[in-house]
Amino acid sequence: MVDHNLLDPAHLNKIEDFSLLARVVVDGAMPGIHKSLRQGRGSEFFQYRPYARGEDLKLIDWKVYAKRNELVAKTFQEDTNFTVCLVLDASASMGYQGKRASSSKLRYASMLVACFAYLAQRQGDRLGLFAYSNEVKQWIHPKSGSGQLSRIYSSLQGLEAAGKNDHKFAWERMASALPGRAMVVFLSDFLEAEDSLPESLRFSLSSRYECLCLQVLDPDEIDLPEGEALRFAEMEGNREVSTSPPAIREKYKHDMSVFCDDLQSGLSAVSAEFETLSTEQDLGHALRRFLGMRNRQS
Amino acid sequence: MIEFAQPAALWTALAIGLPLLAHMAYRRVTEKFYFPSLRFIRPSQIPRTGKRTPTDIPLLLLRILLFLVLAFLLADPYWRSNVVAAVEEGSEETLIAIDLSPSMAGWQGLEEAKMEALNLIEETSGKVGLIGFGQSIIKKVEIGNNREIIKATIQDLSVDWGRGNAQALLDQAPKLFSEQAFRRKLVIISDFQESDWQTAYSDLATYGIFSKLIKVGSQKGTGGKRKNNLSVLEGRAVPAGPGKVRIWAVLRNWDDVNKTAEVDLIAGGKTQFSNLVTVPPLGSAQTQFVIKEGDFSEAMIKLSSPDEFKLDNERSVWLKAPPSRRFGFWMPEFEDEGTDSEKSFLKTAVASSGDNGWNRWEWDQDRTDALRLGDDQLDVELLMILGLGKWFEEEQLGEFMNRFLSSGGVALVTPGEPFSAAVSVLKSNQLLDFNFVRVAGGAVRGKNPFRIGALEEGSPLIEVFAGKSARDLYLSAIHRFGIMKPGIGTQSIDVPLRDREGRPLAIVRQVDGGGRLVFLPFRMNTDWTDLPLRNSFLPLLMELTRSNLEVSESRGWPVLEPGDVLTGAVGNFKANEPGTFRFEEQWIEVVLSPAESSPVTVSIGEISESLGENGKQDIEALWGESLAEEENSPLWMWFAILAATLLIIEMLWSRPLLHSTTQNQIHA
Repeated sequence: MVDHNLLDPAHLNKIEDFSLLARVVVDGAMPGIHKSLRQGRGSEFFQYRPYARGEDLKLIDWKVYAKRNELVAKTFQEDTNFTVCLVLDASASMGYQGKRASSSKLRYASMLVACFAYLAQRQGDRLGLFAYSNEVKQWIHPKSGSGQLSRIYSSLQGLEAAGKNDHKFAWERMASALPGRAMVVFLSDFLEAEDSLPESLRFSLSSRYECLCLQVLDPDEIDLPEGEALRFAEMEGNREVSTSPPAIREKYKHDMSVFCDDLQSGLSAVSAEFETLSTEQDLGHALRRFLGMRNRQS
Repeated sequence: MIEFAQPAALWTALAIGLPLLAHMAYRRVTEKFYFPSLRFIRPSQIPRTGKRTPTDIPLLLLRILLFLVLAFLLADPYWRSNVVAAVEEGSEETLIAIDLSPSMAGWQGLEEAKMEALNLIEETSGKVGLIGFGQSIIKKVEIGNNREIIKATIQDLSVDWGRGNAQALLDQAPKLFSEQAFRRKLVIISDFQESDWQTAYSDLATYGIFSKLIKVGSQKGTGGKRKNNLSVLEGRAVPAGPGKVRIWAVLRNWDDVNKTAEVDLIAGGKTQFSNLVTVPPLGSAQTQFVIKEGDFSEAMIKLSSPDEFKLDNERSVWLKAPPSRRFGFWMPEFEDEGTDSEKSFLKTAVASSGDNGWNRWEWDQDRTDALRLGDDQLDVELLMILGLGKWFEEEQLGEFMNRFLSSGGVALVTPGEPFSAAVSVLKSNQLLDFNFVRVAGGAVRGKNPFRIGALEEGSPLIEVFAGKSARDLYLSAIHRFGIMKPGIGTQSIDVPLRDREGRPLAIVRQVDGGGRLVFLPFRMNTDWTDLPLRNSFLPLLMELTRSNLEVSESRGWPVLEPGDVLTGAVGNFKANEPGTFRFEEQWIEVVLSPAESSPVTVSIGEISESLGENGKQDIEALWGESLAEEENSPLWMWFAILAATLLIIEMLWSRPLLHSTTQNQIHA
C-alpha cells in the first residue's frame, strides 16, 4: 500500500540526504513496486546464502568457512546490461520556487533523480547522470555498482540552479557517450524547447533507446502567481514586464497549455514519452511512470 | 515652548499629501519579481486602486511623520524659555523711518507711507519713535514720545527738496534707540528709489537692530521700474544772435513708450510760447524758444501735461548773460618798466579778446591778489605771472600756483631777470621740468632777430595759423629768448612754438585736473620781441592759454541742487528749493536733482542685503533667530536626527527582500 505522506514533496523536502530520501520513497512509501534483483554472475557482491550440495565450489566463501566452520555461498547481483541515463536541467529557471510550492523545481527534479537512480540500481542497471545549463555541470558516465549511486547523490547535493539553458548543446555533448542500449530520462522545464528538443531526441526512434521527458513546472508557471500587479523579470535574461496577473491569467493558461501540447506532440513524433509534473505533486506518479517504462525494457 | 524661526516653511508640511496620494491613488510596481520565462506574459494596465494591506498603513503613517519632521526642520525650530519671553515684554522699541526725498512726492509714495506708518503705530506694542529723512534727518520724534504727537507729525510730513540720502538715516538711526531696549526695530517706509538707496549700507544687526522694509509708491512689488514720468532735465539760455536769447530745454522720458507733451515758456507771469514735443521711450528730446534779449530777466520752462511725478516738470532759468571770465597778474612788488609794458600789452589783448555779452573777459586784480594770498575759492580763469623770479620763491607762491593749476586754472609765465632764476623757480616748485642753457640774442638786437619756425604737423596752433594768417606770425621778430632743454621728468609737456632752429619758444604743461601752465622764454614787451605789436599776438595768446576745460557753451550762472552751498565773498548761499535766486553778484539757478526723477527702484531683497544678514522682512522670525543664538536652544539638530532615523526605518521597511523570487513585492 502506498503511503502518500512519504511521497509528498513538502515532507520529503525536509530530508537533505538524497540516499535516505530515495530509500524512504522507494522502500518506505512504495515497497514492492520494483522487481527484485536478479542474482547471478554479476561482478557486484549481493549476499551470502547456505551452500547447497552440488553447486559450484567456486561459490563457497572459504574465509567465512574458516571463521564459522559453515559452508556459505556468495551470491552476486546479475548485471542487466541496461543503462539508465538521467539528464537534469540545472539552469537558472529551475531554481524558481513559488509561494505555493514547497521546493524549487531543481530540488523536486533532484528528488526524482535520486529515486530513479535508487530504483535503477536496485534493478542492476548501469547508471549515469548528466546535469547542465549552458555548460556541463555534472557528467557521471554510466556505470553499475553501489559506488555509482553515492556519486550521483553527492553530485545532486552540490547542484545549483544557474545559467541559461541550452538543450541542444547539452544533448550533443551527452549523445556521443550514450551506450548501445539505454533509457534516457530527461528532467527539465523545457521552456521554449518545443522546436529544438524533438529534433535533438530523434535517437529515441531507435528501438535501442527509450526516452522519458518529465517537464517539471512550478504551480505559478501553470497559472501565474497571485498579486494585483507585478514587475516580472526574466531569470535567464534581462527582459522585464509589468503586468497584472489577474488580467492576463486566462490567456496565459491557454498559451501555456498550447505550449505543453505542442511539446508533447513534438516528442511523440520521435517516440519520446512526455509527462508534465507540478512541484506540489507527489513523487509517486513519476516513479510509476519511470518503472513502467523501465520494465518494458526487461 | 517650541517656536519656529521660519514659520512660513511650515507650509511645506502640505507635502504629506504626496505619500497619501501615492498610497491612495497609485500602486506602482517598484520591485522585480523574477520568473522563469516571460514568454507568455504580456504587459497590461496596472490597476490604480486596490485593497489596502495592513502593512501599507504603518508605512503610510511613517512617511507622513517623516514629511512632518522635515517640515519642522525647515522651519528652524528652537526652544524658547518663558524667562526670555518675559524679559522681552515692555522693552521693545520701534523707530518708524519715513523717506521724505523728492521722489516720494510722486507715485502717491508719501500718502501711502503715511497710511502705513499710522497703521503700524496702531499695531505696534512697546515704544515708538519717528524719523523723517531725505538728504539728512528732517523730522525726528524721540522714541517713547506720545503716540498722538507722532501721528500728528506724520500727518504734517511733506517731502524735502534735497536729493535723498538713505545713508543719513542708517548712520543716525542706531543712536536713537535707548541702551536698555531689548528689541530694537527699525521700520523703513520708502519707495527705495535706486539713486537714494543703491550705495546705502549699514550692518544694523551689529547694533542689535532688526529692520523691516515697507515699499510704497506705485509698482511697489519687488524692485522694477515705475511708469509715466517725463521731466525737464536741462534748461539753459544762450545768445542767439544780436539782441536775442535762445532758451533750450532737454526733456527726458523715463517711460518705455513714446510721450508727447506740451512745453510752455513762462516769462513775466505769462506763457510766451508753447511747443509740442514727442520724446522717445527712455530717451531725450530738445525744444527751443527764442525771445528778445532784455525783455525778461528770468523764465520758467514747464511741462503742462501731467504725469506721476510733478516736481521735475518745471525749471527756472536766468536769461542774463553769464558772469565774465576773470584774469589778473602776479608780478614782483616793484614793477620795472619792462614788466609794466608787458602787463599793459597782455591786459589790453586779453580784455579785448571777448565781447560785451556772453563771452566777456574781465580784469579782476583784487581776486587775483586774493589768490596770491592763498584763497583758492575764487573764480579766476587766467593768471599771468610776469617777470618770474626770486620774489615768487620768497612769497612761497609755488603751493598756491600748483593748487590753482590743479583746479583747472591757466597760468601764463614770463621770465624775470636773471633768466636762470625764473627757470630755477619753476623747477624747484615742480612747475616745469626744463633746464636753462643760456639767453640767446640781446647784443645783436634788431639786426638778426630770431624767427618763429614753421609750425609742426599736429601743433594745436596750426588750425589758427594756416595759410596767409601764418605769415604775420612767421615775420615776428624775437630779439632775445632763453634757450631751454627738457629735463628727465615725466611731466606732460608740449612745445607748440619753436624758432627756426627748433628751440622752444613756448612750453605748455598740461596739469592733472585740467589746468595748463604756459611758459614763454621771452618777455612779452618790445625789448624782447615785436610780437605784441603784431596782429597774430592776440590769437596766439588766446590759443596758448585756452583751458582744457573751457567749452564756451557750458558757461553760465552757477546751477545748484537743493542742499548745495555756494560760498560768496561775504556769506554763503544755501540752496533750499528750485528756482532762480540772486546772491551777491551771482545769479543762481537751483534745480531739482535729476536723480530724483528716476523711476527705478531697488528690490527689498537687495536693500536687505545692504542692511546686513539680519535685515530681512520678517522681523519676528529674526528676533527669534537672534534670541535663539543667545538665550534659546536650537532644536534643528534633534529634528535632523529624528528625520534621518525615520528615513532609515522607511528605507529598511520598503527595501527589496532578499528572497525576492518568492515574495510578493508590491509597494505603493
